[in-house]
Amino acid sequence: MRRWSWVVLASVVVGVVVWAVWPDGADRTNRVRTRELATELRCPDCEGLSVFDSSTSTARAIRTDIRRRIEAGASDEEIRQSYVDRYGESILLNPEGEGLGVLVWGLPVLVLLVAGAGLALALRRWRAQPAMRSTDADETLVARERRASG
Amino acid sequence: MNHPTRWIAVAVAAVVALVAVVLATQVGGDPQADATKSQLVGEPVPSFSLRTLDDERLSVSDLAGKAVLVNFWNTWCVPCKEELPALKSFARAHGEEPDFELIGIVRDDSERAVKAYEPGRDIDWAIGMDPGARAALAFGTRGQPETFAITPGGVIAGAQIGPSTRDDLETLLAAARGQRR
Repeated sequence: MRRWSWVVLASVVVGVVVWAVWPDGADRTNRVRTRELATELRCPDCEGLSVFDSSTSTARAIRTDIRRRIEAGASDEEIRQSYVDRYGESILLNPEGEGLGVLVWGLPVLVLLVAGAGLALALRRWRAQPAMRSTDADETLVARERRASG
Repeated sequence: MNHPTRWIAVAVAAVVALVAVVLATQVGGDPQADATKSQLVGEPVPSFSLRTLDDERLSVSDLAGKAVLVNFWNTWCVPCKEELPALKSFARAHGEEPDFELIGIVRDDSERAVKAYEPGRDIDWAIGMDPGARAALAFGTRGQPETFAITPGGVIAGAQIGPSTRDDLETLLAAARGQRR
């Protein structure tokens, strides 16, 4: 029974991870891809807005440029990289999965793993401890105290 | 050291130490620091082709073999207006040099506004219009004014983000010519 619960737990974890990272680009239209990429890029001439949310002429030009590159057959990664090449990493609103970005994405996973390992160890120790039972000496002591107080 | 909680404490301490080391080595300054410099310095000049106010085509191939300064500007930008006297003075000093070209690229503005722009009346360098901002994006501009120095071999040798002084322009020209100031 204990083994089965571990198998179920592992299956759920693997299922969630696969669902999270599985590419879903098969049926994305060019319009959706343009919108998603524009949401990922920071507007270069305004503060804290994405290219999708900004109405500056630069943001409009970038949306047009993304659309043109998509229609020319560029992949999402190629388009992202072309902007990183010209503007640096700060053009990305979400950190990349490398350098400091590894820390940002990886730290919560690491913390979860360490916490899970700690919890598993604590449960194991808790189960390994024998249930406490009163001895004859305990019973005698309690009976004597009751008589004395009663 | 056999106690499990000690191992957990050591693991947590190791993670905290790792995070501290990574943060100390990678987060040394302003995360937006790359917004204050061009990523294109040392890279080949991006391709562009523009129509000038004189209704001619201006493209990268026209600039081959010359040290070139490319200035992005427009009429509604106050720092561009403040920079204009330095550009005019610089153009007067170097305009006759055959191996040098100064060009202006109008970013985010109309041709009518540029032609009617009083402070720009005596500009005597080529001005190209960039209506779709393709050249501005190709150069990775974040605003205006921005000025780029290009070597005769077509490599971006320097960039000034924000208004340039006359001294900045001389430094950019020296960089375009491969000289030190």
